[in-house]
Amino acid sequence: MKSKKGTILIENIIFIILNILFISILMLFLFRQGSGAIVLEQSYAKNIALLIDSSRPVTEMKLNMKEGFNLAEANGINAEDIVKINGNIVTVKLSGQGGYDYSFFNNVDVTVYPDIYPEKNYVIKINGFK
Amino acid sequence: MKLYKNKRADKILSVYWFAILIIVAGGIFAMVYTFYGSPYDIREIEAELLTNRIADCISYAGKMNSELVVNGQFTSENNYLEKCHLILNSTEWEEEQFYSEVNFYKIQNMNTPVFNVKKGNAKWLSSCVLQENKEEKKLAQCVERSFYSVDNSNNQYIIKILSVVRKSEKNVKI
Repeated sequence: MKSKKGTILIENIIFIILNILFISILMLFLFRQGSGAIVLEQSYAKNIALLIDSSRPVTEMKLNMKEGFNLAEANGINAEDIVKINGNIVTVKLSGQGGYDYSFFNNVDVTVYPDIYPEKNYVIKINGFK
Repeated sequence: MKLYKNKRADKILSVYWFAILIIVAGGIFAMVYTFYGSPYDIREIEAELLTNRIADCISYAGKMNSELVVNGQFTSENNYLEKCHLILNSTEWEEEQFYSEVNFYKIQNMNTPVFNVKKGNAKWLSSCVLQENKEEKKLAQCVERSFYSVDNSNNQYIIKILSVVRKSEKNVKI
């Protein structure tokens, strides 16, 4: 009798643990996808590359990156480090990981900097041809 | 006896419960993975932009650049596109991911180009031939546009620009 009750208890505990484990994995997966750092990084990097490719010197563009700024702030990334231009590669970094790179073909000198007030924008300045 | 029946029912319920959980979770995983797993494909837009950039470099406001053609004579060598402020390679890729080819036709003879200029990696040109009938996302994307222009002596030309962008790894799920 004792052993029978014990079996029922263990079964129940295993059942509950498995349920919790299952739901936790699912929630973790959804939250990781939902945070969207990977998707947003890609979206911003490609957007900026296309903006640079389509512009001529001297142009100044403002890209609203409110979502990106909020995410970067939550992940401890400085506003100045979100977008970097190295040669002809745009790098957007919104989380602690490496960020997302995308290259552009327009051989221009580009400057990027955040312009947080009054809106969370990033300024992309095409200074001239290289 | 009653207790025995309930216990059995519980066991059956737990098996079904897990089966349902696995099906639901599998569906959610599949949907989320499909949605977020595929990168945005911007190669066609890039190819269009490259075409526009080259078109502006060759001809502006309907008149062909005098550095390229004067009185019906093409002055430049085949490296004219070097003057178009294009940088088709990057440290991101081992080899150039772009190719561009411009063919100039006299309006009287559209079969044979009178001049042509090329830039980039000609290796990707084969992708255009392969996609003549059916588009294959994993191959390089090709965009061909043509326009009309005149030189300083009013010689008329049809200019065909073919732009090819590969960058498949960054734009398609491979």
